[in-house]
Amino acid sequence: MKALKRMGSLLFTVTLCFALIVGCSSNSTGTGNNNSEGSKSTTTPRSNQDSNKNESKERVKLRVEVFDRGNAPEGLTVTNNLMTEYVQKNFGDPNNIDIEYVAIPRSEEINSLNVQMAAGTAPDLIFTYNEGAAYSWAQQGGLTDLGPIIDEHGPNIKNYLADSLQYGVFEGTQYAVVARRVNLQKYSSLIRKDWLDQLQLPVPTTTEETYETLKAFKESNLGGQRTIPLSFALAPDSYEPVIWSFIKEQSDEARYLRSVTIGSREYPILMDGHKDALQFLNKLYNEGLLDQDFALDKDKKKKEENFVNGYTGLYMADTGTAFGGGENSVVMTLEGNVEGAEVVPVLPWTDFEGKNRQPAYNPSGMYIMVPSFSERAEEAVKYLNWMAQDEVIQYMAFGEEGLHHDLVNGYPVGNSSEEAQKLLFNSGDMLIITNGIDFGSPEKNNEYNALSVVEKHREIATISREYANKDAVSQPIKFEKPLDSEAKYSVVMLEKYEELLVKSIMAKPDSFDQTYEAALKDFMDTAGNEVIQERTAMYEAMK
Amino acid sequence: MVRKSYVLKHWQLYIMLILPLAYFFVFKYLPIYGVTIAFKDFNVFKGISASEWVGLEVFKDIFSQKSFYVALRNTFMLNGLDLVFGFPAPIILAICLNELRLQKFKKVAQTMLYLPHFISWVIIGGIVYQVFATNYGMINLLLEDLGIGPIPFLSEKNAWLATYTSVGIWQSVGWGSIIYLAAITGINKELYEAAEVDGASRLRRIWHITIPGIRTTIIVLFILKIGDMVDIGFDRPFIIGNVMVRDYSDVLSTYIYRIGLQSGQFSTATAVGLFQAVVGLVFILTANYVSKKTTDEGII
Repeated sequence: MKALKRMGSLLFTVTLCFALIVGCSSNSTGTGNNNSEGSKSTTTPRSNQDSNKNESKERVKLRVEVFDRGNAPEGLTVTNNLMTEYVQKNFGDPNNIDIEYVAIPRSEEINSLNVQMAAGTAPDLIFTYNEGAAYSWAQQGGLTDLGPIIDEHGPNIKNYLADSLQYGVFEGTQYAVVARRVNLQKYSSLIRKDWLDQLQLPVPTTTEETYETLKAFKESNLGGQRTIPLSFALAPDSYEPVIWSFIKEQSDEARYLRSVTIGSREYPILMDGHKDALQFLNKLYNEGLLDQDFALDKDKKKKEENFVNGYTGLYMADTGTAFGGGENSVVMTLEGNVEGAEVVPVLPWTDFEGKNRQPAYNPSGMYIMVPSFSERAEEAVKYLNWMAQDEVIQYMAFGEEGLHHDLVNGYPVGNSSEEAQKLLFNSGDMLIITNGIDFGSPEKNNEYNALSVVEKHREIATISREYANKDAVSQPIKFEKPLDSEAKYSVVMLEKYEELLVKSIMAKPDSFDQTYEAALKDFMDTAGNEVIQERTAMYEAMK
Repeated sequence: MVRKSYVLKHWQLYIMLILPLAYFFVFKYLPIYGVTIAFKDFNVFKGISASEWVGLEVFKDIFSQKSFYVALRNTFMLNGLDLVFGFPAPIILAICLNELRLQKFKKVAQTMLYLPHFISWVIIGGIVYQVFATNYGMINLLLEDLGIGPIPFLSEKNAWLATYTSVGIWQSVGWGSIIYLAAITGINKELYEAAEVDGASRLRRIWHITIPGIRTTIIVLFILKIGDMVDIGFDRPFIIGNVMVRDYSDVLSTYIYRIGLQSGQFSTATAVGLFQAVVGLVFILTANYVSKKTTDEGII
């Protein structure tokens, strides 16, 4: 192998020399080897520097991941903008650190991190929402133990995250710092009030009533030829609320033994009621009550489009998304597009006890980690420690008063000015230590959330958020450590589950049973059985 | 002696060859070392050499997975469809174009037919969804107005296979015809004139002159195509496929993507890749052998 490498570099050197001879003007300092590892060339000063650790006066470079969602305002990038300048000035310069942000495309997050981790080029500070990926890196020895470093350099982190720090402990080692999640509400539904009024129907309060209402919407085609009584996409915000409302089992035991965790969600695939839920959706589909093209809509774009164009009667979405965005919110757009359109919050689905059982988030956000090959673990922890201060959080979330936000009833409310947009467009991806801003109590947080919505929708937005809390169950239920099989199969399981959904929902009613059983068997054979086995073993061990 | 002086005399040529050789060595041969991952329990943080050997464990694991066989079957099926319908298409097109008298029209037609080749699959995917979606797709809206029920182009197996194949042909037929057109230009014009004098009809001329004239080209391309039977592009099945037809749209390349990049199981992905390469080699050698035996034409 060595010989191969040597030959490779020799050849490369020859090639490079050739390129030089042919008429390249670049200086001749680099040999083939150096050149091919361009990005690593900074490692040379690093190693000298390690010996005189803390009080080093030498400038070092800290590479930090940042999501690229392609939403940077013109002229700015996620790696170079007002916020990165702020961080450099307030954290970097005083500590003699150059901060380099590394853009990771949001939708390709895991793929690109996997590759960069394997190649050893991942940033010094990485983060992801995917627990399975975090765990599998930890397991393979790819992450730095942050425990001792936090003890030494992270008092603010400890203070700020307190108990949430435990979420980052895998098998006794602090492999990750897990951000706090403030708003735990997951899904909200809205219904067209003007449609209900036209049909002289009340806001539905049970699944049965909802079904009748959807049928009425369909019959009178209130949204024109393309009326879609129930919005639906091949996304959790569409299927989770419905499915969980049909589940008849609630014990922890059932959740451990008859559901699986895929990514950060709990899928009650073997629980009593799961099949009924899909049968119900199958009925809705066959009666034309839910979007017939839902299986093609994985990014929820069509779902939103249909709603703002006034085709949709009952709209299910992630909490907050319908009212977020100030003047350009989804509901505002609908009202602008369709004259007389009006929405009210609704709790459409009830379970066997008449409750509105629905999923909620765990109070943990993204996993923030340092790869084991990084030599900047200490600086990375210092960075997080710096961030976990009130004034920094305040600035990174809201900017300056008057310029980026206004104080309303004592709460900083973004003023959606161009300046604010420039500084805060990716605030959530920069302020990684927390997901949402905590004002000290749920009431205060609600008050703030309301203020961030345009005035005329404040009331319904607040009710909508409260509805999302009703009978909500934090998910997923966690074992002491993530499961190997779930980490291994997370992608495969999600695909198989989506197949199960699509096939059984789209089946003809009389072949539903058959289709459901076949798809379930496929899911179980591919990965389910192995996962359930591991869950059972782990549950037995826990008892 | 003589040989040496030849080398010395043309040393510039050899120097110029270094770059392409280096390219193949560095990017095609050196990475072969990475194939060893398929026989190891690859730990990305330990590196290739430090990971443990596990023999054929990884292959056993793959061959016990149902989804692997599904992906393999689909790869053959989709490539088979492309071979049956997609392979003759550019030949027919080239022959048709060749028969055109109006040079201007021929040029314009050619250019228009090439264009799709330069559109990325991502964009084609977007167009396909706009045109073929069951509810809001252009074609189905039109059919609805005509009183014909919607056709599930994207969600029903057979309809999807037809969509997949025809979109592929649409995208590549113009480009594929270039090489045949070039081969046709190489045919001696006198043959056509002689045939015409002898009273051969247009079809006869095509059958007895054009097709034999490009036979070598057809066979070479056919052999290459056979060699690609297990090899399938990633973009097309990935983008045109969807959950409803995943049983048919999941092919080896998307399988490798899912297992390797998305799930981080590099050993498994490498093993599938190696399997693909070996089967591909067997196919191409067989096709070449058969072709040599039967028609005396081959590529090796």
